[in-house]
Amino acid sequence: MKDSLRRTLWISRVTFLEAVRQRFFAFLLVLSAAMVLSSVSLRVFDFGHGELKFIADFGFGGMFFFGSVLAVVMTAQLFFSEIDNKTALTLLAKPLSRPEFLLGKFFGAWAVLGVFVLVLASLQGVVLWAREQELIAAAEQAGRIPTTFSIVGLCQLVLLQWLRLGVVIAIVLAISALARTFLFTVVVGSLAVVAGQLQWIAQDAFLRPTDSPAYAAFLWISTRLIPNLQQFNLADALVLGSSAVEEGALIAVCLSGLAYLAAYLTLGSLIFRQREI
Amino acid sequence: MNSAISVRHLTKDFRIGIRGLKLRAVDDLSLEIPRGQVYGLLGPNGCGKSTTLKVVLGLVSATAGEISILGEPSATSAARRRTGFLPEAPYFHKFLTGRELVRYCAQLSGVAASDLDAAVEDALGLAAMKEAAGRPIGTYSKGMLQRIGFAQAVVHDPELIILDEPTAGVDPVGSASIGRMIHAMRDKGKTVVLCSHLLGQVEQVCDRVAIMDRGKLVLEGAVEDVLSRRDRHVMTIEAMTPAARSAAEAALEAHGAKITSVTHPRRSLEDLFRELVTGSRDA
Ligand SMILES: Nc1ncnc2c1ncn2[C@@H]1O[C@H](COP(=O)(O)OP(=O)(O)O)[C@@H](O)[C@H]1O
Ligand SMILES: [Mg+2]
Repeated sequence: MKDSLRRTLWISRVTFLEAVRQRFFAFLLVLSAAMVLSSVSLRVFDFGHGELKFIADFGFGGMFFFGSVLAVVMTAQLFFSEIDNKTALTLLAKPLSRPEFLLGKFFGAWAVLGVFVLVLASLQGVVLWAREQELIAAAEQAGRIPTTFSIVGLCQLVLLQWLRLGVVIAIVLAISALARTFLFTVVVGSLAVVAGQLQWIAQDAFLRPTDSPAYAAFLWISTRLIPNLQQFNLADALVLGSSAVEEGALIAVCLSGLAYLAAYLTLGSLIFRQREI
Repeated sequence: MNSAISVRHLTKDFRIGIRGLKLRAVDDLSLEIPRGQVYGLLGPNGCGKSTTLKVVLGLVSATAGEISILGEPSATSAARRRTGFLPEAPYFHKFLTGRELVRYCAQLSGVAASDLDAAVEDALGLAAMKEAAGRPIGTYSKGMLQRIGFAQAVVHDPELIILDEPTAGVDPVGSASIGRMIHAMRDKGKTVVLCSHLLGQVEQVCDRVAIMDRGKLVLEGAVEDVLSRRDRHVMTIEAMTPAARSAAEAALEAHGAKITSVTHPRRSLEDLFRELVTGSRDA
C-alpha cells in the first residue's frame, strides 16, 4: 500500500514536471492572467454591485474557460505523450500497476490545474480588493453603502473550481484509456464538458413526469453518467454574496464532485487494464 | 533449477481495423530460456520478436499459452521487480536529464531510498553515461539513448534483463560497447535476453539463439552447436610456399584427409572499422 502510494506519487511528480515545462501551460496561464488584469481597465462606474460583478464575471469566466481547455487538452496530451512515445512501455514493464500509472497521471494533472486556479484566483482577489477600496472611498463621499466581496467566498470558489477541473481530468483520463488517438480524446472530452455544463437541463426535465419510459430511461442515464458541472459555478453567490449559500449545499456539491471523481478514475483504471500498450 | 523464462504454446493474435481481421503475430511458440546465459531471439522484421517480449512482460495479453518469468507467472509485479527491460527504439521523457530518468526508474522499480544514489551512479557508470547524465535526454544521440536505456534497465540490479534491439541504429563502436555491457551482466550471473535482426552482432554476443520466422520457431540451440561444422576444419598458416603446400597435401592424403579449399583469411569490415575508429564523440 505504501509502495503503491509512492509509485503513484513519483508518476505524478514527473507528470507535473512535464506539464509545467511545456509552453502550452505557460501560454494559457499568461493569457488567463492577462484577461483577469485587463478587467481593471474596463470600468463601468456605477459605484455599485454591478462593477465588482463585472470584474468577477470576466475573471472567473477566463478561469473557467481556459481551465477547462487546459484540463481537457493537457490531460489528453500528458496521457498520449506516454503512449505514443512508448515511454509507457518502459514504465509499465516495471513493478507498476496500471491503476497506479493512471492515478499518477491524474494527480500530476490535478496539481498543475491547482497551480493554475490558485494563481488566477490570487490575481482576481487583488484586482477585486483594489477596486473595492476605490468603491468604498467613492461611496463614503456620496454617502452610499459600499459593496464588498468575500475573501472566504473566493477561497471556497477556488476549491470548487479545482474540484470541478478534477472531475474533468478524471473524465478525460477515462476517455483516454479507451481511445486510440489524442484528437478523439480531445473532441469527446470537450463534448463531455459541454454536456456536463448542460446536464442540469436534463436533470430539470427529469423532475417532470413523462409518459415515455424510453425518454425517462435516457434522462435517468444521462443525468447519472454525466456529472453536473454547472453546480460548481457559485461565483456570484460565494464571492459577491448575491444570494446565500447554505453550508450543507456546499458540502453536498463537494461530495458529489468527489464521488464522480472516484467513479471515473475507477472506470478509467478498469478500461486501462485491458489496453495493449 | 527452473528457467529464466518459460514460454509454452504462446499464440498472439492482433485484431486489425474495425472489421476485426486477425493477424497472427506469434504462432504456437515454445521456448525455455536458461538462467545465466545470453539468449538471442532472432528473425526478420515483423516476425514477432517484440510481441513475444511484450507478452512475456505482461504489456500485451496472450491469446493462448502460458508464460512464467523466474518461476513466477508473468504479468505479476513480483516477476517484474526482478526484470529489467529496454524497449525497441527507446524514447524517454526528453524533458528529463539522463540522471533524472535513471533515478525515476530506480524509484519505480523499488530501489530503497538509502541505496538510490549509489544505484543510479553505478548504472550510469556501467553504461558509460556519467558525463552526459546531466543533459536533457532530448539532446542525446541514438547510441546514448540506447545506453541510458540500458542504465535504466539495470539500475535495480535485476536478475533478468530483456533488451529489444539494443544495437539497432548504433554504430559498430557503440554496438561493441553494448556487447561488453551485456557480457559484464552475464559475468555477474544475470540472464540476458535480447532480440535482433543484426545476425553478425548476435553471433559475437549470444550463448544461445532461437530463430523465428512468421511467428513460428524454426531453430533453437547453443551458438557453437548451431554454427560449427564439426566435419570441417580451418587452419591458418604463415609463410606457405608452393612446395610446402604440396607436401602438406600429400601428408594429409596419406591419412585419407582432403583439402577442399585454400583461401586467405579475411577480417570483417566491422573489425577493420573498429580497429581504425577508436571511439565516437559521445562514447
Ligand atoms: N499493436 C499491434 N497491432 C496490430 N499488429 C501488430 C501490433 N504490434 C505488432 N503487430 C504486428 O505483429 C507482427 C509482429 O511484430 P513485431 O513483434 O513487432 O515484430 P519484430 O519485433 O519481430 O520486428 C507484425 O506483423 C506487426 O505488424
Ligand atoms: Mg521488434
